[in-house]
Amino acid sequence: MAQTNVLVLDEHRTVPPDLRSALERVGARVHVRTPTDVLAASPGRLPDVTVMLAHAGLSPHTVRAVARRLDDDGRRPSVVAFAEQDLHLLGSHVHAGCDYLVPPFHADLVLARLRNCDERARFSRTMEDVTAHAELLSYERELEIGREIQLGFLPDALPSPPGWEIHVRFRPARTVAGDFYDVFEIVNRRRLALVVADVCDKGVGAALFMALIRSLLRHTAEQSGLQSLIAAELLGEETTWAEHSRAIPVVGATPLLNAVVGTNNYLTRNHIRQGYFATMFFGVLDPGTGNLVYINGGHNPPVLVSASGAEPVLLMPTGPAVGVIPDVDFSLGYAQLSPGDTLFIYTDGVTEARSESGRFFGEEEMLRQLAEAAVRGEELLDHMDGALSEFVGPAEQSDDITMMAVHWRPPGTPAD
Amino acid sequence: MSFDVRLRVDERVATIELRGELDAATAGRFHDTIDQAAAAGAIELVIRAEQLAYLSSAGLRSLVFARQKMGDDVRIAVVGAPETVARTIRLAGFDHSIDLIDV
Repeated sequence: MAQTNVLVLDEHRTVPPDLRSALERVGARVHVRTPTDVLAASPGRLPDVTVMLAHAGLSPHTVRAVARRLDDDGRRPSVVAFAEQDLHLLGSHVHAGCDYLVPPFHADLVLARLRNCDERARFSRTMEDVTAHAELLSYERELEIGREIQLGFLPDALPSPPGWEIHVRFRPARTVAGDFYDVFEIVNRRRLALVVADVCDKGVGAALFMALIRSLLRHTAEQSGLQSLIAAELLGEETTWAEHSRAIPVVGATPLLNAVVGTNNYLTRNHIRQGYFATMFFGVLDPGTGNLVYINGGHNPPVLVSASGAEPVLLMPTGPAVGVIPDVDFSLGYAQLSPGDTLFIYTDGVTEARSESGRFFGEEEMLRQLAEAAVRGEELLDHMDGALSEFVGPAEQSDDITMMAVHWRPPGTPAD
Repeated sequence: MSFDVRLRVDERVATIELRGELDAATAGRFHDTIDQAAAAGAIELVIRAEQLAYLSSAGLRSLVFARQKMGDDVRIAVVGAPETVARTIRLAGFDHSIDLIDV
């Protein structure tokens, strides 16, 4: 047994002489303190003790307070109450869970008690370590599973139609969140679907719903075949987001509406109780003309950064978040990109990025940075990345950050 | 970040006062309070949000829970939300199932 450090707790800093000599004979180092000494000690100034011998005259409450104070300091001594004459005082301490020691204080008996204490302390330390480690492992494992799900449902490569550059930055938060993005060809490769979405909340649940929503959107959009190339009717006459809604035939509008409305209906019919929803921007781009038809389901408005230096255009919501309101209408929004323009689509991880002092990056600062940056796709993302890292500093990134830049190269510019 | 939630029920009107930041870490406490309000048989739920500094997407999710838990017949009002919080609610389109009220 390594040398045992023993704290004797006594109101008068006295130790019965035969107890002291027994302790010394078994090679223990004895520290004598009053409860006040311990309670008032500044952190780190307490001896590293494995056993506390508390005089039975002290109240169990005081002994517990002292033990807690030692706990806070990273020491977890076994507590043993001792008495010289008033053995009845031991009762309340034993009730409170203490071990006890009574005269005669023979060295062998004291040594046996100290050994017990040492073993118990070692055992409880091991148990604590194992428990803490197991908790950490299961938490880390959950995070890992969530991240695997999330990453497994992101596209491996993005299509790049002639003349266009599409780039994405995806910075997952340590605590898995539910961002995703997708770019794929629809309508016989005549149109490009662009999706950036954010499933509410965090953890494995958000990751699972991300996988579900992404698959529903993509599958439905891809399966809306050529037989319904033209959206002759918009779903529902009554539109709350009416300003964008025009019943004109647009190629790609049908897969878009089918995907978003279908996903909303699926979620509200089958999963409303789980309460998961996604805000999303789903655009369908005609790479030949720069025409964009889109649905913004409660998502942060993407920004159309013009090459001409005109004010950036925000693509506002055309409907609510997807998965909340049954049978709701989604209107279509329209935008026009010109050569040199960039469409910047992002999630709230950008605007809600926080500095060390807790300030938010905010939409205003984001727009300022977008205006300041070179408008080209990849460099724009580099610029935003830099601005965000600088703003966040050493603070932990609390949410996923997703940014997509869709850039139409001006004529005569070489491809990367 | 600090977060505080208080519930008061008068004449079957439940008032929940929120302070601080409602996000993934604090939404659980808000859910518990909504359960209590629902258990008290409230016919109207008023969420005082004057001191609500931040509402994350997890916070929005708890508004969906509130809507489900209270049932469709219960009016839910978010009162006095700061502009940033009101904007988050409006952006997601939740102002269609919850009344946003200025003070």
